[in-house]
Amino acid sequence: METVVINLLNGIAYGMVLFLIAAGLSVILGLMGIVHLAHGAIFIAGGFAGLTIVKWTGSFLLAVLVGAVTSGLVGLIIERGFLRLLHKQELEQVLVTFGFVYIIGNLILWIWGAWPRAAFVPSYFAGSIAIMGSYFPIHRFAVIAIGAAICLGLWWLQEKTRIGAIIRAGMDNAEMVSGLGINLTPINIGAFFLGSFIAGGGCVIGVQLFGSITHNDGVNILLTAIAVCIIGGVGSVQGALVGALLIGIIDNFGRVYFPVMAPWTMYLLLILVLMVRPSGLLGRKL
Amino acid sequence: MFSRKYKRHMYRFAPVIIVGLLLTTLPTFTDLAIVGLFTKILIFALLVMSLDLLVGYTGLMAFGHAAFFGIAAYTTAILIKHYGILSFWLSAPAGVLMAVLAACVFGVIALRASAIYFLLITIALGQLVFELANTSLGKLGALTGGSDGLGGIPYPEIGFSFSFSPNSFYYFTWGTFIICALLLYWITKSPFGYSLQGIRESEVRARALGYNTWLYRYIAFIIGGLFSGIAGVLYVHYNGFISPEGVGMEASGLLWLMLIIGGSGTLWGGFIGSGVILSLQYFISGFTPQRWPLILGVCFVGVIMSYRGGIMPELNILWKRISHDGSP
Repeated sequence: METVVINLLNGIAYGMVLFLIAAGLSVILGLMGIVHLAHGAIFIAGGFAGLTIVKWTGSFLLAVLVGAVTSGLVGLIIERGFLRLLHKQELEQVLVTFGFVYIIGNLILWIWGAWPRAAFVPSYFAGSIAIMGSYFPIHRFAVIAIGAAICLGLWWLQEKTRIGAIIRAGMDNAEMVSGLGINLTPINIGAFFLGSFIAGGGCVIGVQLFGSITHNDGVNILLTAIAVCIIGGVGSVQGALVGALLIGIIDNFGRVYFPVMAPWTMYLLLILVLMVRPSGLLGRKL
Repeated sequence: MFSRKYKRHMYRFAPVIIVGLLLTTLPTFTDLAIVGLFTKILIFALLVMSLDLLVGYTGLMAFGHAAFFGIAAYTTAILIKHYGILSFWLSAPAGVLMAVLAACVFGVIALRASAIYFLLITIALGQLVFELANTSLGKLGALTGGSDGLGGIPYPEIGFSFSFSPNSFYYFTWGTFIICALLLYWITKSPFGYSLQGIRESEVRARALGYNTWLYRYIAFIIGGLFSGIAGVLYVHYNGFISPEGVGMEASGLLWLMLIIGGSGTLWGGFIGSGVILSLQYFISGFTPQRWPLILGVCFVGVIMSYRGGIMPELNILWKRISHDGSP
């Protein structure tokens, strides 16, 4: 019983990290119709920048901030410098972001070297709490709490603000929104920056769930994030959350109880959802 | 000497004939390393041309094309290594058959969706194959060798007490390439090929004219898988080794880069794209293997941003200009 609870908690913590990556991906896909294949690489870039700051200053908060800003800026460069020029050319946009998977991965290798970076846990999150006879580390609770807080914030942004209303309207019919005199460009830029920003910060906070990261982990993480978006449903915070928790928990139990099948159960689930319900569990139609 | 009509045909096919002659006589004037490079170029050219049938002619954004290549390569390798089936005439058709069967199944799944969702499903299916090949645990891991891959595959044994050398294997690949390329060319120029292009341009119109567009796409998808499988079998014999890296999303992405550099929808562009990328890789890896992915990424972005048409259409225009200046 206690192993079930511990695995469940681990799954939720992992799911929260997945949510932090997938939220940006989901909004970008929903709002601009771009499958942003470089999102995983951006996530890793933020993590590397953050972990370097930890090594230099020892400050966890500063590291999270620097990681988030680094990722945000990389995302901004890709959007402003490249994707903007390929407006409405879906295939070209996807391929450009795929080119950046190589570029960002190799730049990280160039700057930081090939050895994996271990996670960092600040002293105030050290230690663990006893739950039904077994121990669960405090920093994973912190990941769950931070993830939940960001999720709430994003949900509020999406449902209760004017910007959120514009984003939701833009997903349904971008031309109509522009026709009503609303300039979607700053919204797109903002969504791109915020999505990358959260992913970068999320990597610094959540890297402990992966154990360590290397320069070419971007593709694997991206594929998991795509699965999260599709299963939960593209274009909404709650969709990304449901998908992330589902994948996180299934993945954790899979690794414990069916280690042989674990790596590809996610893809089977993804294919199943795409076949039966292409818009995902809570998604809007693309 | 020739009538006007023949002269025009000669001008049209002169580049093909020149390239063909160069490739046929290649082993007589280069060393083994270059012959090996061109064997690889021909194999990948076939692979990219089969992708072009899907992308350029049918308008399907297939991003998991390396999966069929990998399934055929793995099937052949497993039959040779684990079951001792050394005869090429058994192991190769089995590999191609598995690729075709996979295409039959994947096609049913992927063609339910359109555009961007089709792209996502093919990524997922390709990655499923990658993970199956990458698993080190269980019976499957013992069969595929997990992340280490499967090595030690010899040149094909085609009987008649004939054994391949690198040069003769090059000719074997070249012959297979010619047959497959002509078949693909014939498919694109057949009524079926024109129907595919019609469906690409306007599915609604094609459907209104009574075409079963789903079936046409499905058949195109299976044909793509078939030729991809042939390339996979050739590759595993050429390379002697297959690992999960040859199967996954990054391999499929590389095929896309070759396709776009050559020019999609031109068929022969596949040969040019494969030639450009693999030659670059061959020469740059000599200088700075560490930076190769960076150069690849910059090529990718640069080509898409500024040179979307690809090389092949440019060459076509150039040749038309030359031949019109030269011919009456």
